[in-house]
Amino acid sequence: MARDLDGGADDSDSDDSEKATEAASSPSRKRGRIVRDTIERWGLVGLAVATIGLLLGIFYYPVATVFIDSVLVDGRWTGRVFVSILQDPFYFGEPGRLLAGEPVGAVIESVLSPDRRLGVIGFTAYQAALSTVASVALGLPAAYLLARYEFPGRRTLRSLTILPFVLPSIMVGVGFVATFGRNGTLNAVLGALGLGEVKLLFTLEAVVIAHAFYNAPLVARVTTAAWESVDASAVETARSLGASPFRAFRDVVAPQLYPSVLMGAALTFVFTFSTFPIVLALGGFQLATVEVFVYRLIRDLEYAEAAALALIELGISLGLLYAYLQYEARHTVQSRGIRPLPRRPLRPPSLSVRELLPRMGLAVYALVALAVFVAPIASMIVASFSGPEGLTLANYQFLIDRQTTGASFQVQPWDAVRNSLLFGVASLAVALPMGVVVAVLTTRDYRGRKLVDAVAMAPLAVSGIVVGLGLLRGLVFGVEVGGSHFAVGGGLAIVAAHAVAGYPFVVRTVAPGLESIDHTLVESARALGAPRARALLDIELPLVWPAVIAGAAFTFAISIGEFSATIVLASGTNQFTMPIAIERFIGRRLGPATAMGVVLLVVTSASFLLIDRLGGDEVGF
Amino acid sequence: MDRRSFLTAAGATVSVSFAGCAGLGGSDEASTEASNTDESTASGTSTGDTGGPDETLVVGTYSAFVDSPSTSPGAWVKQRFEEEFDARLIWQTPSNEVNHYIERRNAGVDIEADMYLGLNTDHLVRVDENLDDGLFADVGDVAGQDDIKPGLQFDPDGRAIPYDTGYISLVFDGTATTAPDTFDSLLAEEHAGDLITQNPASSATGRAFLLHTVKQFGPDGYLDYWSDLQDNDVRVLGSWSDAYSAWSGDEAPMVVSYSTDQVFADQNDANLEEHQIRFLNDQGYANPEGMAVFDGADTPDLAREFMGFLLRPEIQGEIAVRNVQFPATESADLPEDYAELAQEPPEPVTFGYNELKGSVSGWISDWERQFASN
Repeated sequence: MARDLDGGADDSDSDDSEKATEAASSPSRKRGRIVRDTIERWGLVGLAVATIGLLLGIFYYPVATVFIDSVLVDGRWTGRVFVSILQDPFYFGEPGRLLAGEPVGAVIESVLSPDRRLGVIGFTAYQAALSTVASVALGLPAAYLLARYEFPGRRTLRSLTILPFVLPSIMVGVGFVATFGRNGTLNAVLGALGLGEVKLLFTLEAVVIAHAFYNAPLVARVTTAAWESVDASAVETARSLGASPFRAFRDVVAPQLYPSVLMGAALTFVFTFSTFPIVLALGGFQLATVEVFVYRLIRDLEYAEAAALALIELGISLGLLYAYLQYEARHTVQSRGIRPLPRRPLRPPSLSVRELLPRMGLAVYALVALAVFVAPIASMIVASFSGPEGLTLANYQFLIDRQTTGASFQVQPWDAVRNSLLFGVASLAVALPMGVVVAVLTTRDYRGRKLVDAVAMAPLAVSGIVVGLGLLRGLVFGVEVGGSHFAVGGGLAIVAAHAVAGYPFVVRTVAPGLESIDHTLVESARALGAPRARALLDIELPLVWPAVIAGAAFTFAISIGEFSATIVLASGTNQFTMPIAIERFIGRRLGPATAMGVVLLVVTSASFLLIDRLGGDEVGF
Repeated sequence: MDRRSFLTAAGATVSVSFAGCAGLGGSDEASTEASNTDESTASGTSTGDTGGPDETLVVGTYSAFVDSPSTSPGAWVKQRFEEEFDARLIWQTPSNEVNHYIERRNAGVDIEADMYLGLNTDHLVRVDENLDDGLFADVGDVAGQDDIKPGLQFDPDGRAIPYDTGYISLVFDGTATTAPDTFDSLLAEEHAGDLITQNPASSATGRAFLLHTVKQFGPDGYLDYWSDLQDNDVRVLGSWSDAYSAWSGDEAPMVVSYSTDQVFADQNDANLEEHQIRFLNDQGYANPEGMAVFDGADTPDLAREFMGFLLRPEIQGEIAVRNVQFPATESADLPEDYAELAQEPPEPVTFGYNELKGSVSGWISDWERQFASN
């Protein structure tokens, strides 16, 4: 982009002018400033080096120790494992046969035939695509409601949209059985209305709805942020030039939303592509995804095939993210937008069709949202207060008893809450600076930066168990460097895993903001003598602060909800988090686990409200 | 500025928590031990010894043995053992279970546990297929070993000895259906969509049920049976708790579970009519759980004393009740009503170590490929 090239050229110009300004001031002040300048100028470089080092140490090196298994078998380098997976129709469907050397004609014929095989990878992509469509369809109306209407509790609702994101799949499974099961709430309501019963559980539909439960909030949140940053004056200009409201939306507002919507969609696809507990709980093994097989192979210590499968999974996800990043680079809208669009009251000001129609649409959406988001969570809460004889506090009594009389080798509820918060805050403290630094690095202009960006996003697409296993082998068991043994404790490794999983969200929320900042602002600051680091701290970050907060919320959410890497790394009850406590409290009766699930809900809701309050009063770039 | 103070505060927290984590996390054994020291000092003084206990026994096990929400034998066993022997017992429950120790041995990292409790046949197969040097030592002389029921011994190399066993059976809601008597009648149309079982790759019950079908139809015939079962709408969910909670939610009237189901149902005053047991073909697949001493253990003799302790009649009976499993010995002291509620199959069946070694992975993998082929 021309703007970026200019920006790059101006950078060297402003350096010159900086020197000129310095030459004019007195020698002693000059020396002091040089020292400070050096720190501030190299501060960013130092942070960048530290970030890259940290990424290599806590992500790329450990994960490489796992992936190397797929190419180094019995001490010999080989591509055999990959080839056998790629040629296997079980994994790759009909195209696998093509790679196996079967004639093209025969393969095309079988692809066109009705009983073609998608293969596990094809099927995984298919369900991820369906899940993405469902998540976008459910997320956009929520974004519309949150960005365009004013009503009491809007900010709280906005903060809590992230909540489904952190719920352990076990809890979502429980909530979904109670809501969509044969004897669930949905069928009770349909029955009361005289409608037929639906059989939803153990179908692809159930899995897709559950994935939408997890990911629609993500789509809603990023789109809301983009919508709130649309400049009202641009819309007003379009309207004053005679554009209809629809036309103004299509030509002015929508183009500014596409990147966010697509980002939500891309992330949803990546997440649902590497999903598995929900599939096995609500769909059943006939809907097994790639990740199911990665898990099983790792459990059976068959690392070569597991690593190869995980790498193929990673390749597909990264390819998609790369494509999105290419798109994002071409479609970032530069804005000085400081005045967001005014929100309309939810109560219609008049009874005209134009006022009523969108609100009726929202009312219908509210019913759907009630069924998909509220009912499963409500069912879980009800279950926590239920026992064989109806309403009871026995499940909470269990938590208190476990806390007061439980043995040290048992999971204690408060310790789990404390660990979750501690790991959450610690990973936030690592991920936030990392994310901002990577965002700055990827919004500079150089050849191949989208590739760098995609590589920096890789943690999103590597499954938790691979990260956990890599950290276990690479850091917890320790490495020999020059005769000394370096090892990292389980707690630190957990923070590393969470930070690595969370920082890409900071990057993805902050980078578009940084890119859309009017570059003349930064250039003026630098022309006036501000080093790069100071310009970032004083000019850029305050302008994108809501995006930083949004990234922080995601990072915290990921840390709270993370299960698979934590379970691999946690080496004692004193490192167990809330999701692990929930898993441990599952028995023949789900009561104690659901009570712990409610504790998780309360603790994380409070955390999100707090994080969002740090974002300042009104959100908007 | 708010932002600055927030970042400073967050920065301070992280350095503190890093120090904290580094302290906690150096090694899991160390941390478990540290947290147990206070406790054992306390019990040391209460028994009136001049010093602390002489020896420490570290036992690795699966978490439900010490930490299930209902009952679990861990705390009781620890207390009884420490009262009687002048020793300290430390439970270690790595989430990867046996894999944790295989990983450590493979990486050349010290294994700080002395023995493992909760080993089953396919764990042992996995150990032997992945480690050349072996993980466990010869069991040697253990008191009470002769009381173990014949047929439960599963290690031909004499490393692991059983301490309890479960029988995998169908559990069904008698108010909704009557479970069939045979594998073949499970294929009847009236039972379409009636059965929920679990993924054999990740669940012990699911694996036992799959192995039972291999036992019944042979390695050449079980896949055909599963094809028919799939046509009759069998559901294979991920874990035992996925399956059991779906069954409890009336999604289907039959689930693959344990034949001790009524013991727990009775403790919770559930309607026993809704917790009926059925052994297909009058058989139940036995899943014995064993214990073994790690090669290179610090206190191998104490570990053997502990094994002998676990095989005593009164301890066997108590473990059976608290772990909701059957005892491994003939001589266990069981409560009166236990036999009424916990049902033993007329004919227990199981695969031994030699039959599983080299086969079990292939059977599961073939099944996966057939069942999940899209």
